[in-house]
Amino acid sequence: MLLDLPSARNEGWRWSNLSALPDIAARAPVGTVPAELPWLDGYGDGPRLLFVDGKLVAEQSNPGAIDIGPVEAEPRDHALARLVGPEGWRLRMGRDHAPQGLVQIIHVSTGGADHLPAEVVLDVDAQAEILETYIGNGWTNRLSSFRLAKGARLMLSRRLLGDGGFVSLTDRAEVGEGASFVSATLAAGGADTRLDGDIRLTGKAAYAEAAAALLARGSQRHDANLAIRHWQPNGSSRQVWRSVADDMATCSVAARVDVARDAQKTDGEQSLKGIMLSRTATINAKPELEIFADDVKCAHGATVGELDKAALFYLESRGVPPEEARGLLTRAFVADALERIGDEEVRKAFYADVESWFTTSSLVPSEVEGRP
Amino acid sequence: MLKIENLHATVDGKEILKGISLAIAPGEIHAIMGPNGSGKSTLSYVLAGRPGYEVTAGSATFDGKDLLALEPHERAAAGIFLGFQYPVEIPGVSNVQFLRTALNAQRRARGQLDLSAGDFLRLSREQADKLGLSMDMMKRHVNVGFSGGEKKRNEMVQMGIIDPRLAILDETDSGLDIDALRVVGDGINRIMRKPDKAVLLITHYQRLLDIVRPDFVHVLAGGRIVRSGGPELAHELEREGYAEIAA
Repeated sequence: MLLDLPSARNEGWRWSNLSALPDIAARAPVGTVPAELPWLDGYGDGPRLLFVDGKLVAEQSNPGAIDIGPVEAEPRDHALARLVGPEGWRLRMGRDHAPQGLVQIIHVSTGGADHLPAEVVLDVDAQAEILETYIGNGWTNRLSSFRLAKGARLMLSRRLLGDGGFVSLTDRAEVGEGASFVSATLAAGGADTRLDGDIRLTGKAAYAEAAAALLARGSQRHDANLAIRHWQPNGSSRQVWRSVADDMATCSVAARVDVARDAQKTDGEQSLKGIMLSRTATINAKPELEIFADDVKCAHGATVGELDKAALFYLESRGVPPEEARGLLTRAFVADALERIGDEEVRKAFYADVESWFTTSSLVPSEVEGRP
Repeated sequence: MLKIENLHATVDGKEILKGISLAIAPGEIHAIMGPNGSGKSTLSYVLAGRPGYEVTAGSATFDGKDLLALEPHERAAAGIFLGFQYPVEIPGVSNVQFLRTALNAQRRARGQLDLSAGDFLRLSREQADKLGLSMDMMKRHVNVGFSGGEKKRNEMVQMGIIDPRLAILDETDSGLDIDALRVVGDGINRIMRKPDKAVLLITHYQRLLDIVRPDFVHVLAGGRIVRSGGPELAHELEREGYAEIAA
């Protein structure tokens, strides 16, 4: 397949580097299922799906209320999302359905590219909690569509832990009246990422939250592009982005809040923060606000810097070695984005992922390594 | 214990310390007084190893070892504690987590085993109680939302837990009301007034020295120690002001 990919001249892709994708896509997948998979214990025989290279491994899955088959997912005109086929996984929860507990989905990529759509439809007052974990080293490309009816609640957690390769996630969400869409994403592996989100608050008093911690080292790149659109009054939204870049890595976040003319009493909050662990790392932060209503409250903040030198010295003067002090401060920084994960086991897993990122990190002061 | 000889130091290329000599033996409490800008805080930072404070001449030894060659955390492990004039707030890191990390890092550096979680909590509860801080405050993020007085008391709780041999206390009395001053002063006596320990107390005021009675008082002015004496020197300063003494 010939890949027609957007170039950096396109504003929405200015910080992207998709140049490796054709090569990754050309690699043949190995197809082996890893012996150890990062399932979270403690959820009994709750629903779980294992996809290897985009194909369901039925004998290691327990679909529960999830169907595998044709799904309706938008937007098909997105540069990466348009590559997905018609068949994927679908979770539909009716208003009388008992909650499924945590739905666990693991996506393994053993090489090459795989493209898969998903559809989550929550009827009035329905609830769902989904944890997706991405591992492997190929290109995993996903399009996910979420439709939440009145009073529905979705908690979506994603761990991007691949050793290498590329993960691209494109989300479209419609959040109905009084419904709540909460997502938390952690990129703590070696894969480059592109995260696209378009969350529409289509009902009154809807709530959306998007939190993400992006950790990058080496020449890795994380690139996120999210818009939360308030279409109706009394909605609220919250975005928390925490980027950490070491070595020559780049984290880029473009985060947007749109408030339509009718969306009075909107309460929108955006916090974009980045820490560079070395002077050669790059953090791009682009908070955007577009407000057409006149009675709204929108707070936004963006900061990029190094670790607080006064705090580092304070820790060191009490006996904490420099690497440990840097780790302590960076973990605290990242925790902002993960502390809202409601399920304690899931939250613990995220913190453990952060921990293992640090234990393999080069958290050494740049002076020591003689970096510029 | 601590021996400073002809210490010169610059900050941003400007010479602040212009030849300080001072010897502190175990069991002694030394007070350093002096007008604003005389170099008191700079001296404390230089001894603790703060980046940006450059020693250009002279020496400082601790137990005969070159203090200036050690990294800040190594100085702490050697037994030096700096009480900050403005304790730093660290969002996201709890006091308990911070202190346990610090204490165990020091213990490891000295070849000791880590303190267990239970033992550590017992120790921090005991120290916090004595300074009138609740365990709830100890579980909060380091100094975040603490009042000025609470921050200073927290410094003393930390000192009690870490149990250093030499405490350099930079205006630990500033921002304290009379009752808090008493609590903090008693804390210094309780933790540090021991035959094998010593204190370098940097202060502007006599009030703290009424509680923590110094054995020696030094007047720092213009980056030099211009006078040294016994406790009576502090009273003289209180009566006559720095201008008279430092002249």
